[in-house]
Amino acid sequence: MLEARNLTFSYDGTTLVLDSLDFQVKRGEIVVITGSTGSGKSTLAKCFTGFIPHSIQGDFSGSVFIDDIDISELPIAEIARQVALVQQDPESQICTLQASDEVAFGPENYSTEAKEISILVDSSLKSVDSEHLYDRATFELSGGEKQRLIIASMTACKPDFLILDEPSSSLDPRGVIRLRQILKDLQNQNIGVIVIEHNLSAFQSIADRVLTLSDGKIQTVDTRSSQELTQITPRKFEDTEPLLLTAKNLEFSYGDRKVINNVTMGIRKGEIIGLMGDNGSGKTTLLGILGGLLTPDSGTIQLKDTPLGKLNAKEIAQEIVMVFQNPNHQIFEKTVWNEQILMLKALDLVSFDTLQQCESALGKAGIKELKDRNPFSLSHGQKRRLNVSSVIIHNPEVLLLDEPFIGQDKEGREFIRETVLEITERGGIALIVTHDPDFVSRHCNRVIFMEKGAILLDGLPSSVLERLKTINYKEYTDVGAQP
Amino acid sequence: MVGIIVYPSWKLSIVLLFIVFIEFRVAKVSIRLTKGRTKFIVIFSVLLLLVQVLVTTNGVLLGFIIPQIGGFGPLFPITDFGLVRGLAISSRFLLLVFSSMLFVSVTDPTLLAHSLTRLRIPYRYSFSLVIALRFLPLFDLENHTVRMAQKSRGITAEVTSLSKIIRTVQYTFFPLLVSALSRVDSLSMSMDGRGFGYSADRSYLRKSSWSVSDTIVTALTICFLVVCLFLAAGYLPEISSFLT
Repeated sequence: MLEARNLTFSYDGTTLVLDSLDFQVKRGEIVVITGSTGSGKSTLAKCFTGFIPHSIQGDFSGSVFIDDIDISELPIAEIARQVALVQQDPESQICTLQASDEVAFGPENYSTEAKEISILVDSSLKSVDSEHLYDRATFELSGGEKQRLIIASMTACKPDFLILDEPSSSLDPRGVIRLRQILKDLQNQNIGVIVIEHNLSAFQSIADRVLTLSDGKIQTVDTRSSQELTQITPRKFEDTEPLLLTAKNLEFSYGDRKVINNVTMGIRKGEIIGLMGDNGSGKTTLLGILGGLLTPDSGTIQLKDTPLGKLNAKEIAQEIVMVFQNPNHQIFEKTVWNEQILMLKALDLVSFDTLQQCESALGKAGIKELKDRNPFSLSHGQKRRLNVSSVIIHNPEVLLLDEPFIGQDKEGREFIRETVLEITERGGIALIVTHDPDFVSRHCNRVIFMEKGAILLDGLPSSVLERLKTINYKEYTDVGAQP
Repeated sequence: MVGIIVYPSWKLSIVLLFIVFIEFRVAKVSIRLTKGRTKFIVIFSVLLLLVQVLVTTNGVLLGFIIPQIGGFGPLFPITDFGLVRGLAISSRFLLLVFSSMLFVSVTDPTLLAHSLTRLRIPYRYSFSLVIALRFLPLFDLENHTVRMAQKSRGITAEVTSLSKIIRTVQYTFFPLLVSALSRVDSLSMSMDGRGFGYSADRSYLRKSSWSVSDTIVTALTICFLVVCLFLAAGYLPEISSFLT
């Protein structure tokens, strides 16, 4: 049994992230722990794996026990043989170039015999249903494949407990379903599994217990009701509105790999579109092309009556803006305020009025008092709100959002939704990449579903979701990988 | 490679360059794969050649780049010495770059790390090489994303003044650095969490092995290096008169 007794931790010595927390998990049990952003879920995981107090500074007290033996004093490498942690971003946890090397990495460190390593590699890859990855290069794997590889490389060290931090954030609904099965298999091998997850619906069905972490304590409360956004019925949409953005026969390839295959669509003023599909189906690339950031190999895009190719980067930025997946990739300035006014400066729109608007925009995003802070020091949710608020200050007509809800708590999701409504109500359009069927059915008036770079379905949310159920994409209608 | 630094001769470099291209063929590594980069390298070497030709003014005069037109010119004399020096430098540059490219594309870094450990280099150091290679393609990708994000904000790369150049660099460098640092944290946790550094020795699943052909290649390289050293010291006047 893995057990936390009277665990207290604070990074700065004043705010308690964990407050005399008690918690147990048995071998062969799956426990899901939820909680809002910043509630200390990842901190708890780091305490269990010894990174706190060994490599992360802070005020730590209490103990972690495995079968009544205190492990807090053991070195990390010793703890790691019993408790393994799969972190949020699979990409940055892989340290070798070939999948089999990655799985062998752990046992190699413990000087296991080559023969035994070879058996461990095979069995670990098999346990995550990925034997076919054996000699693949790690950098060309998909997000889901990378995550399965990391899980395999952790289980190759034969831990008794496995902790996963936000595993659904890099997965599409199919990946979530697959991971559920893998976790169940690990449970059957008598491994204790702790899933730390924002999105309750992703793993609730396989959990033996669901717990909430709030105010530094573990509680058994059902959080489902508090997670929901205010219900708003999407506005009836007239398809007599004029076309704002039209794409004809778009094609795009990276090298030999065709990513966008003959995409044609017209978007009318005021439309809110949910863009869905498997990871790797070309959603992000399509946004990049529509945003004028990537040039299609063939095909045309028109903004009202002007072909996008005839506009320069600044003219496009005036009308079309995009928010990318990783907030860190789109922050450029040293203070929140400078970041907020960056676009005004780039487009020569700085004036008394526009600066005043920036001021109130920061207020709306709930980060006004952080004006002089370095934006990189904000939390993930705050960074995302800054990303959104800083690109829409000049009232662009087209807003492109790439998975904006990942890692966002209720407040962040509300803010993004309000921004979308604001833009579309004054005649703009919003195109949102998401895996969340709840969001699309509540707020979108159209859903486009992509498969292998082409549009598979395009229509009203209700009819598209209904159709998905009948054509082997059922997961997309119920998992809601992102709440 | 060391040989050509010891004994700079453009004829020898070109012969070696030719051998490297044959090796590319034998190893079935396509040079076209990195087309954009190859183009850049070749253009850069031509520039090197031109600069050398322009700045070297002693030697036998061969002509002028801008001939005499009326009272204007002649400008930029071309001399045989300049040409030879330019060729020597640019061919050496090409040789170094292409042979390194060949080395990277035919070497499995995991095996290289293992062989370095066999040379008694601590595995912590040999692994840093593997990790560097692992994250290179990722930074390439992130750089691409950051540039797209800049473009979507209406930021264009401006090089008209020093402050603008600094700003352009900052806008690319900051996001990449922050993302790299957060990756470092997560990577070190992931490696520590799998017992990296547990003991002074570690075992290896895949090991590099030494074969007869390795011995032959090593012997040949050493012979070649010795010849170059002799050439540089002036012990082999017949060969060096042929090469210069």
